[in-house]
Amino acid sequence: MTFQSISKTCPMVLVGMTLALVSSVPSSIAQQLPQQPEGQSPGAVISEPVEDGAPSAAQAPLATAETGDAWPAYGGTYHGTRYSPLDQITTENVANLERVWEFRTGDLPPEDQDVAWSPETTPLKVGDDLFMCTPTNVMIAVDARTGREEWRYDPQVSYDAVPHAAACRGVAYFEVPNPEDPDALCANRVIEATLDARLIAVDARTGQPCPEFGRSGEVPLDEHLGRTVPGWVAVTSPPTIVRGIVVVGHQVNDNEALDAPSGVVRGYDAVTGELAWAWDLGQPDLEGEPPEGETYTRGTPNMWTTAAADEELGYVYLPLGNSAVDYYGSERSEAENAYATSLVAVDVTTGEDVWHFQTVYHDVWDYDLGSQPALVDFPTEDGTVPAIIVSSKQGDIYVLNRETGEPLFPVEERQVPGGGVEPDYLSPVQPFSTYHTLAFEPIEERDMWGMTPIDQLWCRIQFHLARYDGMYTPPTADQPYIQYPGYNGGQDWGSMAVDEERGIIVANYNDIPNYNRLLTREEVEEQGMLPITHPEGDEGDPQVGVPYGIEVNPGWRSDVTNLICKQPPYGGIRAIDLETGETIWDQPFGSARANGPFGIPSRLPFTIGTPNNGGPIVTAGGLIFIAATTDNLIRALDIETGEELWRDVLPAGGQAAPITFEQDGRQYLAMFAGGHGFMETPPGDYLWAWALPEE
Amino acid sequence: MSAVPHEQTARQMLSPGYIAALVLAVLLLAAGAVIFLGGIWLLALGGSFYYAVAGAGVLATGGLLMARSILAVWVYALTYVFTLIWALWEVGLDGWAQVPRLVGPTIVLALVLLCIPVLRSKRAEGRTQ
Repeated sequence: MTFQSISKTCPMVLVGMTLALVSSVPSSIAQQLPQQPEGQSPGAVISEPVEDGAPSAAQAPLATAETGDAWPAYGGTYHGTRYSPLDQITTENVANLERVWEFRTGDLPPEDQDVAWSPETTPLKVGDDLFMCTPTNVMIAVDARTGREEWRYDPQVSYDAVPHAAACRGVAYFEVPNPEDPDALCANRVIEATLDARLIAVDARTGQPCPEFGRSGEVPLDEHLGRTVPGWVAVTSPPTIVRGIVVVGHQVNDNEALDAPSGVVRGYDAVTGELAWAWDLGQPDLEGEPPEGETYTRGTPNMWTTAAADEELGYVYLPLGNSAVDYYGSERSEAENAYATSLVAVDVTTGEDVWHFQTVYHDVWDYDLGSQPALVDFPTEDGTVPAIIVSSKQGDIYVLNRETGEPLFPVEERQVPGGGVEPDYLSPVQPFSTYHTLAFEPIEERDMWGMTPIDQLWCRIQFHLARYDGMYTPPTADQPYIQYPGYNGGQDWGSMAVDEERGIIVANYNDIPNYNRLLTREEVEEQGMLPITHPEGDEGDPQVGVPYGIEVNPGWRSDVTNLICKQPPYGGIRAIDLETGETIWDQPFGSARANGPFGIPSRLPFTIGTPNNGGPIVTAGGLIFIAATTDNLIRALDIETGEELWRDVLPAGGQAAPITFEQDGRQYLAMFAGGHGFMETPPGDYLWAWALPEE
Repeated sequence: MSAVPHEQTARQMLSPGYIAALVLAVLLLAAGAVIFLGGIWLLALGGSFYYAVAGAGVLATGGLLMARSILAVWVYALTYVFTLIWALWEVGLDGWAQVPRLVGPTIVLALVLLCIPVLRSKRAEGRTQ
């Protein structure tokens, strides 16, 4: 049954019904669910088709590039599985890997001003070149054989535009279908979106801006968002190109104010840069730009991370974040409540959403969907189902039918703690995946840590001073509260890798709480918190426009030693059986060598399980390549056992994903080591490549 | 009796070993006070009783060291054994979890044992006075 036929017969299908449509999935769980809050549903919500006025940018599917010689998209392909069929490097020979070249971008944090620096960059490889961006959006092409620079294009992004940190996760590559002259300028192009909200297309061979794209190669992205200031709206993730439509979201620095720029997601023609559609959840009937004098809906949830796409279906899958103010929800619109922190499938030929699946109801925890979902042919008893796997910061991993959004495994709604400052707003239940979760049991007093009994005791006192009733403990103002997992996951933007051949999902994750408290407006003022719109700059999280600001201690660091109050491990890596969701192996990830109290490296070579950000990749050679940990190492692990088979010390923090590609018959591994402000690893500008020694 | 014992005492008081023991005593009094008072607070919040008890043990050790009493060693040994049993009960053989529980107290144990040569037993005190 196709989506079209479902949508015509029952425009608003709740999960009990959608589950029943799939005979292999028991619907009993959905039927036993407790009362849902208004406007909520425990699964996919299929949208009412909008009859009138779909723009007719509809195009047939284009040829899709695969991994192998190339690494044509940020997540390998737009399916986001981070899998390469290359098998020259194997579990047998990976120990012989040696560094073959180094390229330095030259884009390093300025010395004369304080700019947060978290490049998070993953290059692409197409043809003979690697294409990448620097944290200030300089696009660079590098020869895959030698690491020599071919060209660079500097869009002159000002440091004022840097949001939470200077980051550019990657660029996108597009070949114009059936060009009159395949050698013409911009027949092949590299497209990026910038921190200062521009969509830029340059020629892949020369780096020259594409004259026919927008205005001289640029499209402004900050128009019609309403009032903004530099650093508020920024794009840090690569665009996703589906059927010739460049789909772009943007981050809006959260917790500044209720009245914030819109989270609208837009599709642009990859050839001309023309706006094809705008998906504004406050104005579902809007076809393109809002009328003169109006804006896209302010303060709506945005997509700051990377989308995935199905070229055949013509769907782009948007992992949405939360509304502009994360920790207070009573002011949100019905549409925000229905769509925030959802995975939304948008038909790029119409710009309309076809289904969405919400991973938190009435989110007041900043549980944005951070990871790129992965598209797989999911093995079931009745053959494979085109599926999408999405992981959340809470650690839940959901498997959904990607045509309809129906969960392939039951989604349970469980009672969660209530109360807090807006008890009527909170949802009494939250969804939990029965397929797999990366989350652990709630923490207890005995899980408190430190160097000595004294700092451990202080963490224990803090534990009891806070409200904590397990996952989804609501925000409180009269006392601190513990949020576990914290907003760094579970899974964040690093995302999972899936080896469909072996049937294994690889997920690295964080296991860290946050220690938070809502602040009254008086306290916000006393603490000197200022919104980004204030002339004196952006201080703290004032949440202007709602009754409370928010004080977040990410990782719940001890105010004495700066160590995390919870005992290690702080991060792990896990292999999961794709078909069943069962854990194959799971281990703490990362050594203590570069971490210690007061920020002093301990040099301890023991595995402790560090916080980690940046994704894994998997290869047909049976290997996982991953950096991510705060020990500045890159590793190769055996996908079957998790055993470490190779490592190298990076010259800076490795908070990004590596890639693998083939050039002239040789398999390479490449990784950008740029460091990470939030992870407190050293900054750098190094692109390194490794290969087996030539015989 | 002659002034000889007093002269000996004065010499002992200036010996590096005795000064070191005094420094340790002061540190243990300070740490013990923090752990004891924090432990009472934790207990009042419904948390573990360990810190209040161990804090009292460390405080007593500090006081006895100050008085140059060999009892300091016995009181600390008792505190340490209590710590060991509690730590194993609470988190078992998890190495990283034992770092805050056992590393510091073990170092203190070694330091207290090193003080033995400058400490006096009750009987010895009787003889010198």
